[in-house]
Amino acid sequence: MTSAVQWWCAATGLPWSWAWQWYPGVHLFLIVMALGWWRLGRRQHWSRRPWVPFLAGWVTLLVAIDWPLGKLGAGYLATAHTIQFLLLTLIVGPMMLRSIPIEGWERLAPAGSTLRRFLCFMARALPGLILFNLIVVTTHFPRIVDGAMGSQLGSFLIDGSWLLAGMILWWPIVAPPAFRRLRMFGKMGYIFGATIVPTIPAMMMVFSTWPLYELYELAPRVDVRLSANTDIQLAGLVMKVLGDIPLWIATAVIFFTESGEPAKESSHVA
Amino acid sequence: MGIRGGQGIHLRQRVARRAVALLVLGAIGCGADTPPLSPSGFIGAEVIDPRPVPDVTLTDQDGNPFPLRERTAGRVALIFFGYTNCPDICPVHLANLAAVLDKMDDDVRRNVSVIFVTTDPARDTIPRLGEWVHQFDPTFVGLTGPDSLITQAELGMRVAPSIRDSTADGGYQVGHAAQVIAVTRDGLARVQYPFGTRQRDWAHDLPRLIAFGD
Repeated sequence: MTSAVQWWCAATGLPWSWAWQWYPGVHLFLIVMALGWWRLGRRQHWSRRPWVPFLAGWVTLLVAIDWPLGKLGAGYLATAHTIQFLLLTLIVGPMMLRSIPIEGWERLAPAGSTLRRFLCFMARALPGLILFNLIVVTTHFPRIVDGAMGSQLGSFLIDGSWLLAGMILWWPIVAPPAFRRLRMFGKMGYIFGATIVPTIPAMMMVFSTWPLYELYELAPRVDVRLSANTDIQLAGLVMKVLGDIPLWIATAVIFFTESGEPAKESSHVA
Repeated sequence: MGIRGGQGIHLRQRVARRAVALLVLGAIGCGADTPPLSPSGFIGAEVIDPRPVPDVTLTDQDGNPFPLRERTAGRVALIFFGYTNCPDICPVHLANLAAVLDKMDDDVRRNVSVIFVTTDPARDTIPRLGEWVHQFDPTFVGLTGPDSLITQAELGMRVAPSIRDSTADGGYQVGHAAQVIAVTRDGLARVQYPFGTRQRDWAHDLPRLIAFGD
């Protein structure tokens, strides 16, 4: 069965097929992002390009929003949708922030500029936690998921909001020291705080008597052996278990790398 | 006027508490719509002039004769016309019915039969039919028979007869009615459930279908 070209992965109600599909909007988005990063580096004359975080983020973004994961998540499997969420918020978001070096941030947001004040504000714990959790909960409302994923624009907005949520979540952790980032225990507490609210939609997916999302309950089955109920429960487990692991790892990394250097950190504060 | 010191902290705490409360309330209070009910209290679409189940004898997944009217008498039968190669509607309907029945009381399970009538008897052989329906639930019944009898059953249940559409690869798909027809214990095909009926809708209606006419 064939379908018209979609610019972004959205639910179609058509039977699942492993035939490759081209999503022009996805590829355009990826190209614009790569060109933007390249041009920013040239314009700002970065002394070194952070290739590793950029490529890690860019490739993960490709995996998260392109065929097949993007298509599976948009209209077939809640588990795939959750994996997209985790990739965008836990990998793409922080990697994209890391793909701009400290000198790049300094030039993007010079001291005293409005953008600098905004980024400093966002590097605090409370704005990050509130905004991240607001996006997570809102984008997991059944009405919003069921309503948005059937349209390409809605699906694009969900993916975009998750990418934004990832950057909001990680900014207080990875922001350059001059942007007044949290200290070690502040970061650890912040990460712990970020694991609490996503538990609500995750547990609702796991323990709801009936499938939470109409979209995935009535979606054509990818494999009849994986029922909609199992898929949605699995999605909840993936969200909680796989979602928390990177955060706990980040907490451990922060503890072991920063416990010996408080003086160095404070010397960077503007 | 700026907010400083303790006053600022209290304000931030209040804002944070309200934000968390909103998030929790929002997450809990989502997606609990109740669709409008039919005159008899069903979520499914009630037929104005219900007819009896057609008196046709098909063949079940074990190769035994299955007189439809006789075998559905005195219990609720959920009858669906489809085919095992169906890529979308059929597996979703059967999977959802299996999931709902799995969560219902034994009383409900004992009084409900799910009957799948193939609209593609050429490809849906008896072993294939049995294997396919039983992967959803071992109590589901799969029926087949000559095209003429299947069409008679479809017309008797007031659903559009199925048609075959050729596909580009030389095969064919079968266009068939997408609704499940619920037969109440009085033997009348009383309520129709279109594609899109959710598990919670079935959970609402099944006990009412069993109790109907008591």
